[in-house]
Amino acid sequence: MNNRYVYGIIDGDPVEFEGEAVAGATDVYTISHRRLGAVVSDIDTTEPEETDEDAKRHDEVLREIMNHDGGRAVVPMQFGMAFESDRALKNVLRGALPAFRRALNDVEGRVELGVKVVSEEDADVDADAVRERVADELEPIAAQSVANDLFSDRLLLNRSYLVDREEREEFDEAIARLEEEAEGFMVRYTGPFAPYSFVDVTIGASQ
Amino acid sequence: MFVLDDLLFRPFVGIVDAIHTIALDELYDVEGLEDDLKENQLLYELGERSEAEYRRRKAELEAELEIAREVHERLASGRVEVKS
Repeated sequence: MNNRYVYGIIDGDPVEFEGEAVAGATDVYTISHRRLGAVVSDIDTTEPEETDEDAKRHDEVLREIMNHDGGRAVVPMQFGMAFESDRALKNVLRGALPAFRRALNDVEGRVELGVKVVSEEDADVDADAVRERVADELEPIAAQSVANDLFSDRLLLNRSYLVDREEREEFDEAIARLEEEAEGFMVRYTGPFAPYSFVDVTIGASQ
Repeated sequence: MFVLDDLLFRPFVGIVDAIHTIALDELYDVEGLEDDLKENQLLYELGERSEAEYRRRKAELEAELEIAREVHERLASGRVEVKS
């Protein structure tokens, strides 16, 4: 298994741990170039199939990295990034170094949280008022937020928030207030996730 | 007469092809099926759909999505034969 499956990019000390990784791997480790590191596990293909189990493992490894050493910043990769050699991977780290540094700077000390507001079945809800109420509570606390697809007619709001770890408790409390006063709708609160929605680094090197 | 017939007929063939493509797009709506998959997951997470129902619906939607993606690939490569 000479190929390397990449979970995310970190800065500073390498990360190493054992766990359930993508495609049955158990060792997660770091391939470094200067101070930048790609957190990887070994894999026997450069085109891994995205099964539910492996997608979950990808997320769990990223969460483990985020919780490492009391909280590490990580630029997450989408599922499926695999490179055929360490050299190819290091070339990407070298080529995209400024972009990774900027992205790491943006997400340092922050986590992504997801909020979906879903109307109860057949409920008559003023969607605009609900969205306004949620924005009043959450936007002042979050460093950034982005809108996600409203993939269901019952979804009134679907947003991701980038929140400082220090503001997490305040954000939780704001969610609790929204849940308490919810009438005709439900609040689905998820995370913390690696900040997928707030980094935009495209790797275009041959893999 | 062949040339005249051909010229007169060509625009209609073009329209028929276009309508057929739109119909296929609607019938094999990849984006719609992807949304349905996400909604199925959401309803399961909210406890409104049982695990058995969630899994059944997921398998059904994934099978439909696979066919829809294949049809779109064929449409893009011009390998879908329009028969009337």
